[in-house]
Amino acid sequence: MQTVAKLIDTSLCIGCKACEVACQEWNDQEFTLGTFGGTYQTKPELEHNFWNLIKFNEYETAGQLSWLMMKYQCMHCQDAGCMKACPAPGAIVRLDNGTVDFNHDNCIGCGYCITGCPFDVPRLSPTTKKVYKCTLCSDRTAVGLEPACIKTCPTNCLTFGTRTDLLRKAEDRAVELQADGSTHAGVYNPQGVGGTNVIYVLKDASNPESYGLPKDPTIPWTVSLWKGPVKLLGSVIFLGGILGTFFHYIRFGPKLKEEHRDD
Amino acid sequence: MIDRFNIKERFIHWMVAICFIYAALSGLAMWSRHLFWIATVLGGGETVRALHPWGGTIFALALGFMFRNWASQMKLDSDDKVWLKMSHRYAMNDEAGAPPSGKYNAGQKILFWMQSAFTLLLFISGMILWFPEIMPRTLRLGAVLLHPLAAIGSIGGIILHIYMSAFAVPGSLRAMTRGSVTPDWAKAHHRKWFQQTTKIEDERAR
Repeated sequence: MQTVAKLIDTSLCIGCKACEVACQEWNDQEFTLGTFGGTYQTKPELEHNFWNLIKFNEYETAGQLSWLMMKYQCMHCQDAGCMKACPAPGAIVRLDNGTVDFNHDNCIGCGYCITGCPFDVPRLSPTTKKVYKCTLCSDRTAVGLEPACIKTCPTNCLTFGTRTDLLRKAEDRAVELQADGSTHAGVYNPQGVGGTNVIYVLKDASNPESYGLPKDPTIPWTVSLWKGPVKLLGSVIFLGGILGTFFHYIRFGPKLKEEHRDD
Repeated sequence: MIDRFNIKERFIHWMVAICFIYAALSGLAMWSRHLFWIATVLGGGETVRALHPWGGTIFALALGFMFRNWASQMKLDSDDKVWLKMSHRYAMNDEAGAPPSGKYNAGQKILFWMQSAFTLLLFISGMILWFPEIMPRTLRLGAVLLHPLAAIGSIGGIILHIYMSAFAVPGSLRAMTRGSVTPDWAKAHHRKWFQQTTKIEDERAR
């Protein structure tokens, strides 16, 4: 099965927030009032029951203020930090179509995925004590429908399709924008996490931070170390300790006090 | 029989031990997917996630009491330093010429300091991992590395501790279960302590 992806052309986003509403509606999530951050943003950050946020980044160049509107959600990384960090078998799964999905029956609520994610996306629910994020509408894509946010987008800023097609489309669009004068336009598909199934076209790809995206995201090195060499070290010490003491007993035996009586 | 550990010391030791075993097993369950079956045995992943921090906290607090009781007896003296240089021979049951040990030998003292240090690290990093939703990301990134490293050191030390007390040095276990040891045992393994205690008892008898 081909990997599916979502293309977000930020140059076409008008900040209507229809995708936010569609996401809440389709996933049947209650909207909880939060803090007002002094911007047009619905919420300052993603929440356990709010998986799709349009960030209204205010960005100043040469005394001119611009709004860099940016749809923020799970990136569905090819090399997913959440999956690497998760200790519960089957709690985070990769579907055949490449989507990273959470299976809440198996989630134990440890929150390691929150630490493993380079994009700070998963959120722990205070009531269910489980972690939630965008599912790429896996319940829609499974039956051949596009995700709810894409279905509702009025400007064609969002496109759903196979990853290969969308990457090509994104490159074409970046060239178009460059020709239009956005010389730094480009595609955001960070290789540090093996590429993402959510692909952005940014008008200024040289500075993804201005959109609120990390410049070169990778799985945090402490997480990689923890799940790699440290795990090996642990196995060596645990097995080595048990086998080592056992064979020590076989070779040297117990310390018998009789041997010391003569002194 | 010579008294070695009073009821208070034994009670605290076994509080520490029981909580440690629970924390270690439930921790191993969340450490590797290959060991997740332990979580199933202990009541499921959610139960283990909820109770592991409590088991760990009680363990750390009990160890705090243990530390307060024993720290003053665990300072390494000059004999201990000589003993350590010959510890490879001690490991091969060849103790000829090794200086006599006090109530604890240098190996036991080092284990005590190591376990105390590891427990402190486990406690601090564990508190951070307990509440991922409110702890700053930088702290969590450090804790996910520190917690397993300290746990590996701690479990490694305890494997050795259990081996020494239950298998390698017969007669040790009853010091922590019944509280006393035979004079032969004390003389063989902790001669300085044996001489001190018997001298005190001699004086008392007089």
